[in-house]
Formats: sequence, C-alpha cells, structure tokens
Amino acid sequence: MDGYRKIIHIDMDAFYAAVEQRDRPELRGKPVIVGGDPRKRGVVAACSYEARRFGVHSALPGKIALRRCPHGIFLRPRFDVYRRVSAEIRDIFHEYSDLVEPLSLDEAFLDVTRNKKQIPSATITAECIRRDIRSRTGLTASAGISFNKFLAKVASDENKPDGITVVPPHAADQFIDRLAIRKFFGVGKATEEKMRAMGIRTGADLKRFRKEDLVRRFGKAGIYFHDIAHGRDHRPVNANRVRKSISKETTFSEDIEGRTPMVAVFERLAGEIEALVRAHDVYGMTLTIKIRYSDFRSITRSVTLEQPFRDAATMTAQACRLLDSTDAAGRRVRLLGMGISNFASQAPSGTCRQLHLPFVDASGQFQPETPWHG
Amino acid sequence: MKFVINKTDIRNILGKVQGITGRRTNLAITETVLIQAKSDTVKIAATDLETGFEGEYPATVESEGVIAINAKKLYEIVRDFPSEAIDVNEVENRWIEIGSGRIEYHIVGMNPDDFPEIPEIDDAPLFEMDSRSLKRMIEKTVIITGATDDNRAHINGIYLENIADDDEKMLKMVSTDGSRLSTVDYPYDKGECPIDKGILIPKKGLSEVLKFLGPEKTVQIGLKDTHFILKKENESFTIRLLEGEYPNYKDIIVRGAGHDIPVDRQLFLMVLKRMSILSSDNYKGVIFNFDDNLLTVRATNPEIGESKEEMAIEFNGEPVEAAFNPKYFIDTLGVIEDDTAMINLVSADKPCIVEGENDKSYLSIIMPMKI
Repeated sequence: MDGYRKIIHIDMDAFYAAVEQRDRPELRGKPVIVGGDPRKRGVVAACSYEARRFGVHSALPGKIALRRCPHGIFLRPRFDVYRRVSAEIRDIFHEYSDLVEPLSLDEAFLDVTRNKKQIPSATITAECIRRDIRSRTGLTASAGISFNKFLAKVASDENKPDGITVVPPHAADQFIDRLAIRKFFGVGKATEEKMRAMGIRTGADLKRFRKEDLVRRFGKAGIYFHDIAHGRDHRPVNANRVRKSISKETTFSEDIEGRTPMVAVFERLAGEIEALVRAHDVYGMTLTIKIRYSDFRSITRSVTLEQPFRDAATMTAQACRLLDSTDAAGRRVRLLGMGISNFASQAPSGTCRQLHLPFVDASGQFQPETPWHG
Repeated sequence: MKFVINKTDIRNILGKVQGITGRRTNLAITETVLIQAKSDTVKIAATDLETGFEGEYPATVESEGVIAINAKKLYEIVRDFPSEAIDVNEVENRWIEIGSGRIEYHIVGMNPDDFPEIPEIDDAPLFEMDSRSLKRMIEKTVIITGATDDNRAHINGIYLENIADDDEKMLKMVSTDGSRLSTVDYPYDKGECPIDKGILIPKKGLSEVLKFLGPEKTVQIGLKDTHFILKKENESFTIRLLEGEYPNYKDIIVRGAGHDIPVDRQLFLMVLKRMSILSSDNYKGVIFNFDDNLLTVRATNPEIGESKEEMAIEFNGEPVEAAFNPKYFIDTLGVIEDDTAMINLVSADKPCIVEGENDKSYLSIIMPMKI
C-alpha cells in the first residue's frame, strides 16, 4: 500500500460481556447481558454473542431484552474492571504505534504506516495485535485494515467476532458499492430513512448523487457522505483527540415531578461536570440541558454565555433558567441531562498565557509549540 | 560471598542510589544494586539503563562473590540497623543473609548475570574541574524542568558546551523548559576538556550526580562514546547522552535593548513569594509595572482575590508593563549569588534577562506571560 496510509481499527468482541465470561467460566456459552437493571429502566450496554441470537443488542431497553431473552444472565457493569482491561489493550497498541486514537474502552484506530516494530504489512501488524490481545487478556478482537479511518472501521465489523477484514485501495470501490447504507458511519435511523426515500440503499446508490445534491439534502454531512462514498477520508488518526463537549445525564428509576427535585439533579450533574471539565482543563461557553418526558419525548435547551465558565454554580443557575423556560416543572420527567460545549481555548479574561522562547531552528522556522503544562 | 561493611557507609550510598534504582524501566533487575565483594572492597553498582553508577568501598571480605539485591529493601533494612557493622552473606545461591545473631534477614536476590552492563570508562580522556563549581552549575540548571510528558531532548537534557578560543576557555551549561532558559559558565585555564562539541545530558541523570558531589575538591568529567562520564576517586557515573538538536539559544539572548534595572535580590524575592500566595493553576501570572523609580506588582485571582505591592527601584525609562510567572523569578533569584540582581526588560512579549550585578557566570532569560 505504498503512498497510502495504513489504518487499523480494532474492535473488541462483545467487550463487557466477554470480560464477564472470561472472569466467570460458568457464564461461557451462555447469553450474558451487561447493563442496567432490566426490571427498571436500564439499557443493554453489551451482550454476548449467545444473547445476540435472541435479538438482544446494545442500547436496547433492558425490559425488551428481558422479554426477548428471559433466560439471559443479566449483570451490572463493572466499569473499573473494563477500564483496567482497556488500559492493558491500549498498552499493547502503543507497543506497535503511538498514533492511537481510542474511541471508547473497546475500540481504537491505529495508524501503523510507520510502526515501532517495522512490520511492513498492516495485516500482519493487526494479526500480531490480535494475538497479543488474546494471549495477554484472554479476549478476542476484530480488526479492520484499510487506508482510511472510515473503511477500517466498517471493515472491522465485517468478520466479527474474532475476524479480520482488509480493504486494500484497489478493492475499496467494490467494497463501498455493496455496503448497506446504514453501515456508513454517521448514518443513523433518520438519515437512513431519508436516503431510502431517495432510493439510496448501498454505497453504489450513494455514489450516483452529486455532491451539491447531497449537500442540499443533508447539509454539511452531505460533503462527508459524498467523500466517503468515493473512499475519501483524510481524517488523521488523532492521538490527542479533543473532546467537543462534556455531558452527563441520569435516567430516574421512577419519573420525577416538580421543580425542586429537578434542580437538585442539576446541582449534582453540574458538580460531576465541573470535575470532568477541570480534569480536561477547558472552559465552556455553552450550557445545554436535556429533558426526557415520561412519554419519551426529549427536548434540549441551551444558552451561550459571554464569559467562559466551568464552575458548578454557574451551570446550575443557567440550568434552572433553562428549566424555567420549559414546562417540565409541571410534568413527569424520566431523564435529565446537562452538558457544556463550545469550549473556549482560553480561560476567562484575567488569566495569562505563558509565552515560549522564540527559538528558531536551523531551517529558520519557529519550532512548533507543544501544549504547556507548567 | 560474605563481607562486613560499615553501616554508615553502605547506608549513605544506598540512600543516594534510590533515585536510580527507583526509576521504572522495562527490566526488574534495575531495581537492584549489584554488589561485588573482592579482596578488601565491595563494589556497588546501580543503573536505570540511562544513568549508571559504580562505587568502591572498603569492607572486610571473607569470601568473594557477586549478588544483585533489591535496593529499596536493602536500604530499609540497613537504615535502621542497630549496629555499626553490617554482615552480608550469600548463604546459598541467591539466598542472602543480612545481619547475624540477634537480627537476621534473608532476602532473595536476583541473578547478577542479568544486571545490565555499565560502560567501562577506564581509557577515556578526562578533564579535571572544581567539584563545588560543578555542583553549583548543576544545581542552577536542573531546577528548570519541563512537563513530565514532554519528551523533547532539549527540554529533558542539559546542554553542555566547551567554548575554547584564544582569549578564554570555558564550559557552559544551558537548560530550558521552553519558556525560560538559564546558562552557567565555568571558565578554566588548566587542562584540555575532551568534550569538543555540545552534548545533551539528561537532567534526571545530573540530578542523581548532584547527590554524590561532596567534600572532594575536584572531579573528572569526560566522554566515552555516547556517554557522559563523571569520575571521583572511588565513584563514577556514566550517563547516556540524549540525541537531538539544541536550539540556537544564543540568538535569543539579546543585550543592549531595554533597561537594566537593579533590584535588591532578597527584597524582590520576598515580594514575589508573597505574590505567589494568590496564584493558582489558572491564575499563575503576576503583573509587573515598571514606572518612575517604582515597581508595582499585582496579582489578581478571581477565584481568591487580589494583592498589590510597591517597591522602590532605580528606573527612569518609559513605563513598561509585563506579566510573569513569579515562580520563574523566584527560582532564578534563588540561585543568583550577588545581593543585587539586574533585570533587563524590553517589552511585554520579549525575553527578559535576569543576572547578578557582578557575577556574570549565571544568566537567566524568562518569557513573559501574555495578558
């Protein structure tokens, strides 16, 4: 793949459920469903392949999962364990390349164009990584290998579980052509329906549309759809991905009513968000609240302030103002969420930014600045 | 292997090598010290694969041999041992007995053959220099360290350069974290320094060396392949050099612009220490206002409050305002030896030079903060 990047997407197979089956051998071969309490309002976070046969999948409400798979073994997630295993896997990735972009605990992109072990083939690299994961964690992973992130990600899903799919540049067109449209990253239910209405069912269908038409129909996403339909995705594997928003939400075991308990929830969420925002050392300009009513209808309201903020008190106060602009206080609410976004690159006025020494290197260029943590 | 060694001797050495053996490497063996007993000495070695240490100390050796034993555990055992001499005895293969009689420890050693090789330095040409001066040079430069995750060679290393022309010969150490830079000179007239081009020595290794620079008058330094060498009478260090270009630091030391402002070092230091009371992660900067014979320093932290101090100075130029991280000035003023420090400030976004009034062997440049 000379001249092309070598991107690997690694996706752990049924990660949380697989960890549970690894740690508790009596669960092996059984439908294991990890998530919230199915009798209440939990959703499925992960499930074993045995459970998938019954139509259980992640994000399915626990109640439905219980109906579809009544003999399933429902477990509460042990995130501290998953995080530990995830860190082990990440260490393995870094033995091959430092260009690692984790997407979640169980999947990541790696750019192995230039890898630490000087393995010329990306396929062999991916097999080595899968082998290391298997021998060191006892878990299986699937890998997708291609020359961009989009294709690598779609490919990893092709031969799951414990499989590997390679999409070399010359095969990309064919691969995209037969790809069902819902497999395109960024195509959710709504977009899929819109596309179906336009007669788009596969990548080949999508390719027939001009960029302008897609933009007219889907806005900015249209450019992206057009690009990936033609196998173009220049997004780099970003080892220091910056979050664009930080949010928290909570689903109540029973609907809540009245302003006072809702304010209390926002206070708690604000505290959690402040901790996260401080950990990321950013400030937000925009605060958003999310309310889901008992009839599952969701609304969001947001406000953008003039000064960057990150203190819980400001967030709570603004959340209350937003809450009062809705009729939520008089209705039954099943979920409340809060998030901050529109991160300010700088702290509010009054803070200073440390300047760097104006070193000039041999070529007369300023040396690139790296983030300063002093 | 069996020997008896003075407790104070071994305790001091073990205490000083903990920085090397405590550093995480990929090899478990680097947590150990290698102890070799031979005729009437024991040789103790430690390495973190970058910095290697070897020392030779008198001991009563009953039988010769070599062991590798966990440095931290051995230090903890020896530190509070209630006798003046320590018995060390390998009773059987890698089963090491420490003490005898009333107090006995048995510790499992590691295979001494696995201990990483420390480069031999026997034949390297060496340069003799004043030990106290070297100690001061290192002290003044290693205080500037970068962020722990900053792996750039010029941030992690101290640049050591030998400047030898017809008029003067001197060694120069340079240290930077990207926002400030210090240089320390060591002029000499005797001897040839074998370091002909600039080298980058890890700050971590030099900090370890610092612990060993003691009462002796002179030490010898040199180069062996890709290692910096430091040798005392019975102890030696080999530190693997960092690879990388050092930025052209001389270009940013611009003299002649701006005003030289003399300040009382102690008074200014106290002002800055008081100013740092209000600094926090988000609000590090304090604002200096140089006006007619008056320096006003202000700190504002919306999360805590404000402070302001005035200090009489000799200054009659155009008023200048600039913000700085007070810690940088505190570090620099703390190692200047003159009573009066000279500050040369050009503008709010240009490097500021700080040095002693008379002693020009140390110089620091500090970048302001942008308000």
